[in-house]
Amino acid sequence: MSETLNLTLKVWRQSSPQTKGKFVTYQVQDISTHMSFLEMLDVLNEKLILKGEEPIAFDHDCREGICGTCGVMINGQAHGPDRETTTCQLHMRRFKNNQTIVVEPWRAKGFPILKDLAVNRSSFDRIITAGGYISVNVGNAQDGNSIMVPKQNADRAMDAAACIGCGACVASCKNASAMLFVAAKVTHFAELPQGEPERQKRVERMVAQMDEEGFGGCTNTYECEAACPAGIKVTTIAKLNREFLGASISSQKEETQLEGNG
Amino acid sequence: MTQLDAKIPSGPLAEKWTKRKNELKLVSPTNKRKYDIIVVGSGLAGASAAASLAELGYNVKVFCFQDSPRRAHSIAAQGGINAAKNYQNDGDSTHRLFYDTVKGGDFRAREGNVYRLAEVSADIIDQCVAQGVPFAREYGGTLANRTFGGVLVSRTFYARGQTGQQLLLGAYASMMRQVDRKKIQLFSRHEMLDLVLVNGVARGIIARNLVTGELEKHAAHTVLLCTGGYSNVFYLSTNAKGCNVTAIWRAYKRGAMMANPCFTQIHPTCIPVTGDYQSKLTLMSESLRNDGRVWVPKTAGDKRVPNQIPEAERDYYLERKYPTYGNMVPRDVASRNAKEVCDEGRGVGATGQAVYLDFKDAIKRDGAEVIRQKYGNLFHMYEKITGENPYEVPMRIYPAPHYTMGGLWVDYHLESTIPGLFVLGEANFSDHGANRLGASALMQGLADGYFIAPYTVGNHLASRTFEKVTTDHPAFEEALNLTQKKTEQFLSIKGKRSVDSFHRELGKLMWSYCGMSRSEQGLKEAIQKIRNLKDEFYKNVKIPGKGNELNQNLEQAGRVADFLEFAELMCQDALERRESCGGHFRVESQTEENEAKRDDQNFCYVSAWEFQGEGKPAKQHQEPLTFESIALTQRSYK
Amino acid sequence: MNWVKNFLTSTIGRKFLIGLTGLLLIGFSMVHLSGNLLLFVGPSAYNEYAHNLHAFKLLILAEIFLFSLFIAHIAIAIQVTLDNRRARSQNYAVKKSKQGRSEWTPSVIMHISGAILLGFLILHLSDFTFELRLKGPDGESPFDKAWRILQNPISGPVYFIGSILLGWHLWHGFQSGFQTFGLSHSKYTPWIKRIGIFLSILLAIGFASLPLVAYLKKWGVL
Ligand SMILES: Cc1cc2nc3c(=O)[nH]c(=O)nc-3n(C[C@H](O)[C@H](O)[C@H](O)COP(=O)(O)OP(=O)(O)OC[C@H]3O[C@@H](n4cnc5c(N)ncnc54)[C@H](O)[C@@H]3O)c2cc1C
Ligand code: HEM
Ligand code: HEM
Ligand code: SF4
Ligand code: F3S
Ligand code: FES
Repeated sequence: MSETLNLTLKVWRQSSPQTKGKFVTYQVQDISTHMSFLEMLDVLNEKLILKGEEPIAFDHDCREGICGTCGVMINGQAHGPDRETTTCQLHMRRFKNNQTIVVEPWRAKGFPILKDLAVNRSSFDRIITAGGYISVNVGNAQDGNSIMVPKQNADRAMDAAACIGCGACVASCKNASAMLFVAAKVTHFAELPQGEPERQKRVERMVAQMDEEGFGGCTNTYECEAACPAGIKVTTIAKLNREFLGASISSQKEETQLEGNG
Repeated sequence: MTQLDAKIPSGPLAEKWTKRKNELKLVSPTNKRKYDIIVVGSGLAGASAAASLAELGYNVKVFCFQDSPRRAHSIAAQGGINAAKNYQNDGDSTHRLFYDTVKGGDFRAREGNVYRLAEVSADIIDQCVAQGVPFAREYGGTLANRTFGGVLVSRTFYARGQTGQQLLLGAYASMMRQVDRKKIQLFSRHEMLDLVLVNGVARGIIARNLVTGELEKHAAHTVLLCTGGYSNVFYLSTNAKGCNVTAIWRAYKRGAMMANPCFTQIHPTCIPVTGDYQSKLTLMSESLRNDGRVWVPKTAGDKRVPNQIPEAERDYYLERKYPTYGNMVPRDVASRNAKEVCDEGRGVGATGQAVYLDFKDAIKRDGAEVIRQKYGNLFHMYEKITGENPYEVPMRIYPAPHYTMGGLWVDYHLESTIPGLFVLGEANFSDHGANRLGASALMQGLADGYFIAPYTVGNHLASRTFEKVTTDHPAFEEALNLTQKKTEQFLSIKGKRSVDSFHRELGKLMWSYCGMSRSEQGLKEAIQKIRNLKDEFYKNVKIPGKGNELNQNLEQAGRVADFLEFAELMCQDALERRESCGGHFRVESQTEENEAKRDDQNFCYVSAWEFQGEGKPAKQHQEPLTFESIALTQRSYK
Repeated sequence: MNWVKNFLTSTIGRKFLIGLTGLLLIGFSMVHLSGNLLLFVGPSAYNEYAHNLHAFKLLILAEIFLFSLFIAHIAIAIQVTLDNRRARSQNYAVKKSKQGRSEWTPSVIMHISGAILLGFLILHLSDFTFELRLKGPDGESPFDKAWRILQNPISGPVYFIGSILLGWHLWHGFQSGFQTFGLSHSKYTPWIKRIGIFLSILLAIGFASLPLVAYLKKWGVL
């Protein structure tokens, strides 16, 4: 059952956003196949600390595939070889003894590197800030069951809402496009009656922000879908295109800027 | 001595909150924009509070240590959120939810608080639906419900297995809307390292920018701590790696009292530890116990693979000991029994620290397809982590620390013993007593943030006169220097052990002595060992890197240092509470059948600990608990 | 008309234009192919078609429209390709698909197949429309001219490659255009994909058959 592996790791090391990075090769021994990928990095880091070297910085938190904090390129694949799996859920039994593993950070203009494998994804927060919400103040809500949502729509909304904001779509897309992330949020709200009032403005603003952040455009290569740990489908991208097209053509011109945007 | 005044309104239970809301002072709409509020934490409690306060017009600053507020640990909650909607027409009511929660908490929570929680629970669902939270629906389009442990009605709302995620994304979106309106300023990758008091009132914080390492001063008129639970004092828990006690511990050291720190919940169904490298434990929803049967071999040391152990040699110990509830006994009972059989040497798996959760009979009865529909995603997750197929081999499970009922003491207004310091969500001690029922933490976090803090914080602002305080105030300098020194101290130790190794050792200690069962002797031993470990930490820890850069080890060092101090208080609290109640099991206090024995005569109180200075023992205060609407009973699940 | 500008400069808007021009170009290609296939029917059929075509009064307008389609398609495509490059700050040392596809999958090399198509088109237009090279004898019939050019040692092979790459380009391009327009549907999308594959094979084989047959004739096989 439990076996151990010896591995060669080539890890991207970069001490700060400004400095130039490079690959550094490490050997790790006796890695149990029951370890998760991040636990394997923990083991390496422990070794580095005791040797007086700087451990590898990488982002992680929940370590159960839901918070979207972790994520690195493993041998050229976002979150490693498994489908619908985050880096923290990837286990070492997926690797072979004496294998070489190349570990790189997400690379995208919209995700500047902070240190080693950690990147800055606040561009995603700014995209959500640009309308990725439903404007309803606390205290204004009517009874939950007064808004009926057909199960099919609710399910589709849930499918899209499952996005964990990890950025693997951007990382894996050859254009570093954030379309799948944006599409997931737009679809989530477009499928629900609650999303209707701000539907057009939302998609226009979110797409504009996405472009502003320096993400590439989608050329329908569908790699993002394969890399997405939350199983978001590229049909949401079609939906986003449709929403954006429809909104661009039919939304009314804004006469005066109302207080804020909320 | 500070008198603990819980500020519970007088009058009948059902009218208390309405009455209080009418009494609370209001801030005029034009004045609201003159007040600054700091919210530390962006989980359900923090995000909902920040959004609703900003909606009212206050200027809010939100802090979280993650790279995005959406990643707060609330995201990990799977099961669901309770609300007394009675949509299923099965006789649910505010009173019933209130009663279940107090009873589930083994009568160690305040009636007034819990009733209010039940009262606003229905509003939470409405608010979340309006925000676009994609709750599960029936074919007709109405909201769906499921049943959760410990209750007889269907009142749990859910969004697939990702309820916490969807609720948090709803609160996060509301918060980002206020960022859009420039009413909220966001500080992600910032860790609060100290609380700043001016004339005894909370007026700001010191936070470290985790990217640049810079220490920042932030001033405000009030501070809300929504920083979650401290299960990571056990090192291995179902909590995210970053969950910590730091924010509330620093507040404690500034004068906020810590209540019931020993009340921790150990969840019975988690994937067991596989080795020393284990970094965290994963929860398997307790709904699995609806169909899975828990067993271990009858004889100790039986190392056969499970499928070769014949029926006659299996011990379905929960069914044997609790014929009425069987596998569905409450969390604390299930956890304790698992530990017991493992201690007898009957544990299974490579480590002997696990029991089987077997679906063989359920699959035989209903067919694999039905089981797949019910638990497919959980089985999938289990297989991903363990590499074993639970359709063929029984799951191995073991209890793991999961939730902490203890936290900073707060009154009915959620205000701590430091005026102007409010504490919301898992970080406070308020509503779950000695044991939390499933699906009610999410409810509490959102109740605090959406429906309670907006009123009570306004009252604080309206009823105090505030001197003008900027970050130039000497109190900020003092706190900043203190924090600076601490950082420098950590970096200067240059010892031989990693921070993580200390944390692991502390975790093992706490798990053995202050985990599922606790004894006087053990706790005393633990306190000594913790002190030794703490001494060693300050002599021998090794933290590479510098203070003025992204330094994950330095972050961790601060958290572990606080856990080391906190652990001692936790053991002290456990030592002092010589009764068994809820998640707290004292071996000295059990019935003849080895069940937990509560002692209402002597321990029907909240114990609140006051910091007395470094190296001095904390001072205990007691807030007596009185029950007017329900009678105290001993729980029995036979 | 600020909104028009906003739309057309957004990533989605630009992709929309590529798709629109691309799908219209497919329309042209089909008409063009059916005309070209008349080369197999015989001199009189083809010459008559060519004659009628040139007799069409508004041909110049149609040609201008056609050329602007090409220019728009190509210009935007180049711009988008460059922008998308820039969006990846630095290339990965190792990159591997999770769809289990190769580096030559049509969708991944659209810009490459496109660039080669551009090269083919330049040659093709200088051969036929602008007659910059390979000038034939005066009074040569369109039929003879076509076969002559197709048998040329440079043009023949390039046309062959160009035709195959057109198929390659459209294998992805056709269904991709629909996705860009947001036309994705659980019932129809599988059919769109099938039709796209069918069309791209048809166009590739159709066009490629001409230089192929020309060469087979040249080598005396046919
Ligand atoms: C695996 C799991 C499953 C669960 N399932 C359920 C369930 O089904 N139903 C249910 O009701 N409950 C469940 N719970 C419990 C529930 O999820 C939590 O109790 C609740 O979400 C806590 O919310 P919170 O807002 O108080 O804290 P958290 O969500 O933990 O948020 C804490 C916030 O504080 C910030 N923070 C912490 N320290 C600092 C600092 N020093 N400086 C700055 N920021 C800081 C963090 O960045 C974060 O934003 C579950 C818990 C776990 C672990
Ligand atoms: C002549 C030079 C050409 C160039 C440089 C070119 C380039 C491109 C590029 C870069 C793209 C977008 C990349 C992508 O979506 O992956 C594209 C898309 C496309 N092209 Fe071309 N192309 C050319 C010719 C043609 C021709 C002749 C046709 C049709 C007969 C065509 C049809 C299409 C279609 C349908 C798309 C898909 C549009 C979409 O996905 O929305 N292209 N082309
Ligand atoms: C491989 C076989 C092909 C042959 C034999 C062929 C033949 C011709 C001929 C004879 C003309 C001149 C028409 C005229 O002005 O009388 C022409 C023009 C043209 N061809 Fe082709 N063609 C081929 C492939 C293609 C392909 C694959 C494309 C790109 C999609 C293409 C695009 C064009 C264009 C744009 C013109 C100019 C149209 C105009 O000026 O009106 N051709 N072709
Ligand atoms: S769409 Fe998928 S890959 Fe992209 S951020 Fe969301 S979860 Fe991650
Ligand atoms: S991989 Fe990229 S090209 Fe589009 S379909 Fe996905 S965003
Ligand atoms: S650490 Fe949370 S998803 Fe991996």
